[in-house]
Amino acid sequence: MRSIRGQLTRNLLGAFFVLLGGALAALYFTARDELIEQFDDALQAKALAISSLVFWRDNAMRLDTGDQFFRSFSKEERRDYFEIWGDDGKPLRRSDSLWGADLPLAEKPGGKLRIRDLRLPNGRPARVLAVKFSPDQLGGDRRDRLPKVELGLAVASDSEPLEEALTELLGIGTACGVVLYGATIWLVTRVLRRGLLPLGQLGEQATHINADSLTTRFPTEDLPAELLPIAARLNELLARLEISFERERRFSADVAHELRTPLAELRSMAECALKWPESRDPAADQETLAIAAQMQAMVASLLALVRGDQGQIVTQIVPLDLAGLAREIWRPLAARAVERGLLVNWVSTPANIQGDPALLRSILGNLLENAVEYALAGSVVDILVEQDGSGVRFRIRNPTENLTPEDVAKMFDRFWRKEEARSGGKHFGLGLSLARMFAGAMGWTLTAAMDEQRRLEFTLAGPVALTA
Amino acid sequence: MRVLVVEDSPRLQRSLGTALRKSGYAVDVAGDGEEGQWLAESHDYDVIILDIMLPKRDGLTVLANLRQKGRETHVMLLTARDTVPDRVRGLRAGADDYLVKPFVLEELLARVEALCRRAYGSKLSVITVDDLEIDTLGRRVRRGGRGVELTAREYLLIEYLARRRGQVVSRSEIEEHIYDGQVDPMSNVVDSAICSLRKKLAEFGESPLIHTRRGLGYVLDEMPAGAVAP
Repeated sequence: MRSIRGQLTRNLLGAFFVLLGGALAALYFTARDELIEQFDDALQAKALAISSLVFWRDNAMRLDTGDQFFRSFSKEERRDYFEIWGDDGKPLRRSDSLWGADLPLAEKPGGKLRIRDLRLPNGRPARVLAVKFSPDQLGGDRRDRLPKVELGLAVASDSEPLEEALTELLGIGTACGVVLYGATIWLVTRVLRRGLLPLGQLGEQATHINADSLTTRFPTEDLPAELLPIAARLNELLARLEISFERERRFSADVAHELRTPLAELRSMAECALKWPESRDPAADQETLAIAAQMQAMVASLLALVRGDQGQIVTQIVPLDLAGLAREIWRPLAARAVERGLLVNWVSTPANIQGDPALLRSILGNLLENAVEYALAGSVVDILVEQDGSGVRFRIRNPTENLTPEDVAKMFDRFWRKEEARSGGKHFGLGLSLARMFAGAMGWTLTAAMDEQRRLEFTLAGPVALTA
Repeated sequence: MRVLVVEDSPRLQRSLGTALRKSGYAVDVAGDGEEGQWLAESHDYDVIILDIMLPKRDGLTVLANLRQKGRETHVMLLTARDTVPDRVRGLRAGADDYLVKPFVLEELLARVEALCRRAYGSKLSVITVDDLEIDTLGRRVRRGGRGVELTAREYLLIEYLARRRGQVVSRSEIEEHIYDGQVDPMSNVVDSAICSLRKKLAEFGESPLIHTRRGLGYVLDEMPAGAVAP
């Protein structure tokens, strides 16, 4: 599994390894070149000194090696070596440090100065400079007429101290590199662990979240700025999930709850009929049918809610008269209103609107039925249909018996009823939530409010028809 | 045994009433919490079957009010609420049993029967008085090893007397526990039932088991001292 910390560690250590290696190599080779250059400069100085001490007189080479300068060319010290060849390539003179042996040059000195590595006859490493030069001629006035003499000169210096210094430099550089790299591993690991700690904690907290712990929230205090938006969005997501799960749970519980009583009725009726067939109620079949119809109506309401939740309510918007539709729906309810002693006060003018007739019929039917059923007996029910430039409104207002302003806020909740008892069988507490959903599907609004005289008022508001 | 059913569903009222009456209980029915509480306070029921979500007054309030007033009638909550917190709340409110809808009728009857037994401090399903044996599960009565044929009401009467063996049981108590609210309190229905029961028991054994305490009531027991044989 990929790990951010692992990947960062690998990349950082790899990059540092390359950089450190490059830096140390560059340092080493620069120092090495500098040392060799100094060594070669010294070699050239020695060659120049020797060539300046060589003279040619009477067809013979003269060199005075008694100078202090030649101590390093002695048999005792053997740090430097030289050899001089004549024009014919025969050795004319060599340093005592060679013990009579020739310098093992691959080629004799030419006109061009050359410096290269060499293995001395005694087996030690050395760097050798080979060059041709013309010694000064000693011959008084005839000097200008003497033929020009060219001699070959090779000067070598023992390079073992140089190689030892270079090896030591390489060792020190390598040791420094290892120590530095080790320290870097420790530092990078530690810094990344500390730096990525909040990310790890966030991940750890996230692994413990499941459907039963949706109340958990990620702490945002002391969180790095880079992780803050992630934690904030996750918290928002969790809050939405919590609400959604809670609503789902409550809805499922409510559905199960609503179905239990009709199921219990069916079951007990059937068991009674089987156990005591002689006492079978003649109205049992009608009762069974009524229970089935009640459950069917509930299932239809639930399906409508589910479709609404999924945005699957299909509307057919047509122009129609809202006041006329409301009066048409009211007609079959009028008798029940009279029975309850309700006085209905209609204030309406023709209101041309654009809406879905089926959905509006359902919404208005629910509001009017609720008023007839739950308005205070003998009270006045005001029904108003208004239209102005801002839109059209259907308002229904009636005094209530036992509703409180707190109840009004919950009236559109699914399965909400003032009385928790489910004895009616006809009302499931879904009507208002369905009505609001239908209104929303048409682009309308449905709201409820209670005035100071404890009169409940529903307002259905929508746009006027474009043709109006 | 007299049972009060407080349930707002008329269909459940009917089927529960039928099932309980057919099983030999006297049954009263209430459709809301207020009526249920009034009935429970007015009569001495052996068991109350109480719905929780009731119109006017919820079942838990009714239960709490009854317990507050010292009523120790065994109460079985019958409700659609099935979560553990609901059950715990119901039992802590003073309920003796809890049954979730939809229920199996046989289970409900068995639970009501168990509550009735507990009401009289007995866990045994067979009550023995002298040579009389009453099997409360099979609802059979035997005397001297032979079965005694009784009507449902007679069986209820002898079971009630047997559960209160050795105690003087007044006519009003018998009316309270054996007959529902539709019986005229001025009628001599209790005396007639006692008389009929005595005759049937006498066919299978000589010694009288039901004794009259004049002005007080009846006692079911082996011939107690001071009792007046009929």
